[in-house]
Formats: sequence, structure tokens, C-alpha cells
Amino acid sequence: MAHQPFIKTRQTEKTVNGISTQVVCTEFSNYIFIVLTQYGKIGTLVSVTPDARCSDISTPMFTTKVLLGKDEALTHVYAKNIATFVSQEAGNRPVLLGLALKDCSAENMKTLKDMIKSCQVW
Amino acid sequence: MNMENGACSGQSAVEAIGVHDFSEKLLEQVVHFHVMKLTGGFFLWVGASPVLSNLAVSMNSKFDSMPLSTLVLGDSSDTTPNSLAQRLTKKTKKQVFVSYNLPVTDSNLTLLVENRIRKEMELHPDKF
Repeated sequence: MAHQPFIKTRQTEKTVNGISTQVVCTEFSNYIFIVLTQYGKIGTLVSVTPDARCSDISTPMFTTKVLLGKDEALTHVYAKNIATFVSQEAGNRPVLLGLALKDCSAENMKTLKDMIKSCQVW
Repeated sequence: MNMENGACSGQSAVEAIGVHDFSEKLLEQVVHFHVMKLTGGFFLWVGASPVLSNLAVSMNSKFDSMPLSTLVLGDSSDTTPNSLAQRLTKKTKKQVFVSYNLPVTDSNLTLLVENRIRKEMELHPDKF
């Protein structure tokens, strides 16, 4: 049997709208760490945390917090849009997202989410 | 300004992110290391169980010989991730992210961990 690394990680690379885009997903017991980058760097670091008290509503609420980098409204929108499905699929685990995009157009969103899906570690 | 083929030379080339794992038995426990090589820096996780309890980031400053560092996640009363990130930036001149997930009561362990990282950097400089 092949030796399994202690920390589970998967990565992919794809050219999106002419820009080389990389995704690295890493699993921790209390976080899913995702790097989504077109610069090869972590860039803006955002935490996406599901709110604890949401059992009575069908759609859970998420709190986004910019831990490092420029705190812009669009960053929160983007992070929530990209990371919500990961958190839900990972048993409501918080997501730590490193976001460094040259092209933040909404049209690319689905492609980027599909890239993350292909790196499922949860 | 230096221009080459219309592209600004100040913009660094994007490298493929590389992942590197290693582990070592230190003071009767197996300590795992996980490195993610990024453009202009790296992310380093250290721990015995797969938990991410803190994250510090450090980078060089032109105003100070000592690198700047800050904790972006976790308990700020624990200065180990901060100081480790700072010392690794001092050594590599790179932006360094550090998550340190071992008991901090044992300063001997912290020292052994840092020495193990330095050893790996000498063995595999291309991984950092």
C-alpha cells in the first residue's frame, strides 16, 4: 500500500479565461483550507464559518471574516459564494480560503467551483 | 522602468504550487510537517494531529532588520507560531505562513521542531 501523507491534500491547475489558475485543498479536522489563486500566492485570507444556531431554518447562515488583506465587500460575496458548498459538504466545517484572483468576473465562478469540487478532500 | 516584451519585469512568474510532507519522532512523539510552496513564500503546518488551531504570517520589512509577523488565526497569547514564522522569514527572506499545533509548554520540543525544519530546508531547498 502506498504511504498516505498525514495531511490530506489535492490540487489542480487550469487555464480560465486565458489565466493560469491553481487550486489546492487541504483537510484539517476543524477546517478545510482552500487556496484559489492566479498569482501562486495565498493573497487575501478569508474565513467562512457556518453560524451555530441555524437548525430551524433550511439554509444555514455564514459569517465571513477577512483575516489578511483588503477587506472589501466583494471579497465577502465571493468567499461566501465559493466556500459555502464546501462547508456544507464537509459537515458544516469552517473554510479557510486564500483568494488571489486577477479576474473576479461572476462568469468564472462556476468553473472555479468545479475546480474546487475536483479537489475534494472532505 | 524595465520592460520586456511588453510585460512588466517587476511582475514575478507564477510557479506551480508544490506540496511536501515529512515527519520525525521528537521527544517520544511523531511530529508531522506539511509544506506548501507558493510564489515568493511558503505555508508550513506542524502538528501531531490534523488540526489547524492557529496561523501566523511573517514577511520582511525594509524599515526593520527583524521581519514583521502577525497572528491571523488562533490564540494570540501563544507566541510560538509568530516567532517561528519570523525566524523562518529571517532565514529565507520569504513570506512565511506557520501553523504550530503542538503543546507549547515544552520549549525543548519547539527547538527540536525548528531544527528539524532547518534540516529539511538544507536537504530539500526546492520544497520551500
